[in-house]
Amino acid sequence: MTSSSQLLIPLHVRYIQSLGENKDDLTYHLTAHLRMNAVYWGLTALCIMDHKDALSKDETIEYVMSCWVDEAGAFGPHPDHDPHLLPTLSAIQILVIHDALDRIDVPRVTKFILSLQQPSGVFAGDQFGEIDTRFLYSAVNALSLLDQLHQLDVEKTVSYIKQCKNFDGGFGAVIGAESHAAQVWVCTAALAILDRLDVIDQDTLAWWLAERQLPNGGLNGRPQKLEDVCYSFWVLSSLSVLRKVSWIDADKLTSFILSAQDTENGGIADRPGDLPDVFHTIFGVAGLSLLGYPGLVDIDPVYCMPANLIESKGLRKGWEALPRKAS
Amino acid sequence: MPDIAGDGPEEQPLFSERPDWTDVTPVPQYEGYNPIAPIFYTPQYYFRGIVKTNEKSERVLELTEAIIRLNPAHYSAWQYRYHTLLAIKAPLDAELKLMDSLAVQFLKTYQVWHHRRLILTAIYSPPPSNASGLNDPTATTSSSAKSKPSPESQAAARTELAFITRVLMVDAKNYHTWSYRQWLLAFFDDVHLWEGELGFVERLLEEDVRNNSAWHHRFFVVFGRGQLQGEEDRVAVLKRELSYTKDQIALAPNNASAWNYLRGILERTGTSFSNLRSFVEPYTKTHEDRLGDEEILDLENPAPSAEAELPCVAALEFLADIYEKDAVSKSVEIWKRLANELDTMRKKYWEYRIKEALKDVPVQS
Repeated sequence: MTSSSQLLIPLHVRYIQSLGENKDDLTYHLTAHLRMNAVYWGLTALCIMDHKDALSKDETIEYVMSCWVDEAGAFGPHPDHDPHLLPTLSAIQILVIHDALDRIDVPRVTKFILSLQQPSGVFAGDQFGEIDTRFLYSAVNALSLLDQLHQLDVEKTVSYIKQCKNFDGGFGAVIGAESHAAQVWVCTAALAILDRLDVIDQDTLAWWLAERQLPNGGLNGRPQKLEDVCYSFWVLSSLSVLRKVSWIDADKLTSFILSAQDTENGGIADRPGDLPDVFHTIFGVAGLSLLGYPGLVDIDPVYCMPANLIESKGLRKGWEALPRKAS
Repeated sequence: MPDIAGDGPEEQPLFSERPDWTDVTPVPQYEGYNPIAPIFYTPQYYFRGIVKTNEKSERVLELTEAIIRLNPAHYSAWQYRYHTLLAIKAPLDAELKLMDSLAVQFLKTYQVWHHRRLILTAIYSPPPSNASGLNDPTATTSSSAKSKPSPESQAAARTELAFITRVLMVDAKNYHTWSYRQWLLAFFDDVHLWEGELGFVERLLEEDVRNNSAWHHRFFVVFGRGQLQGEEDRVAVLKRELSYTKDQIALAPNNASAWNYLRGILERTGTSFSNLRSFVEPYTKTHEDRLGDEEILDLENPAPSAEAELPCVAALEFLADIYEKDAVSKSVEIWKRLANELDTMRKKYWEYRIKEALKDVPVQS
């Protein structure tokens, strides 16, 4: 796997297209529990690389609807899997991208989402009861896309996030948990959607985020941990919301992301030399988009969806990415 | 990793070959499709079969265990297993022992840890009266009155903590493990357990002083949730924490976690950063510059060791923050040095600090 100084778009498009093809693969079966997320990641990556039509719209929508669990009024990750907030959000995002939101029973999905809010304000992912600010973000994002935010108890939701703020200005998965860049993003993005960025100590958090950059240009998720391409999104999008993307050395991060590409089979890995996957592919491409990499489409850092689409729905919040380079 | 709990899936016959499973109709995942490796898929097909009939029995436990071993992220299997355990009144302490082996094998899986929470909750606390059925001990609304911890539950808590400690020996920064430890401490809420945590954190920081999770846990125990337990004399606590943190910085100055902790405790206690000036200054110089300084042994302000990499960027940052109040030109000098020489990666940040500080400089009349 040799590194490259360019984003190999056609190769990555082909990689994403090939993901659903190998049903013989054991990995394909063992990842059924996140298939809906994977479809959303792949589709969004294609949109940002301006190849939205590389996957069949009809087949994708058919897959999404095959995951509908009627008793619950929600989506599972795969046919005959239990409903959960994460695949429900991904399903909504996919349908929004394909302008097919009318396929959803909005009142029932809204009811499912709201039923998962706990007395403390956080959300569970499903009836299993696991709580995490990731689920809080998923609920807020989903309700926003469904135009049902007015049904949310915003004060209760915001008060939970407030309590997750740590001494370093960051946020964790639950109250008391260590600050982690992915959790910082879900909390920051949720607050952005709810117009409550006042909860954040913005300069302190932006500095903590800037400190994620390591000498090799990559970003880590917490102090003194390894760099990983996915943090290119979590950290950069948070900084975009705080309007401080310039605090990251863009050239060094760009080189790092590009060096994690699989130049033979396509896709992007967590770091150079490792095997690629669709998760790191979307977040690497999304990070490059926020850095102004030429030839890419703008991504909305709050929703992790195409920016013009979010804007057309009147949902764009105040964020700033780096200007797109000409070449 | 040794398979502590016993047989792996390869040592057992296929479910399709077992006489005690002939009554269940396996439900294949994909119509008209022949998988290359059927051994892996059959447990999942049988799972779909028993879910359809809503069976809750011993053999369901066996089946869900097989699935979980293959795919620990299969959350439907976990859920169904939990409901089955309760329905057939299975011995939950045995379940915990099984989870011990799985937790180490599948450290980074959310479900393993959540299942553990559910089992412990089922054993040691009655269902909450507000009957959401879900476990959120950090809820700000007070849950039904907790009974005093019994000797049995105290012993269980210690065993659990010991288990978590063993897991942390494998991966000292595992996010789920630390989160679970916090949950456990809050769940049993026993003052003796909280007291033991300082020693625990110190042991871990001896292994790796750069373990950010351990530093965070220390804050949690001393100033966060743990603060509710004992430690009335907050002045003494601050003194102790400052002393400890300074010692760790002296050992390894270029340690972001320790400096973040220092800032955190100062801010939390409303202590001025300038109190730390004599401590911080030696770390902002090179070894050569320090040669001229008098070597006064100051136990309150441990100096950097001869091997320390100086100057320490975090120390310079800290000093600049001290100067910002009444000697902003000195702050600007430091920030320029950081931007152009010592921390060029974050040049834009340092330039921002300069700009902001100069904005606030009052105009001389």
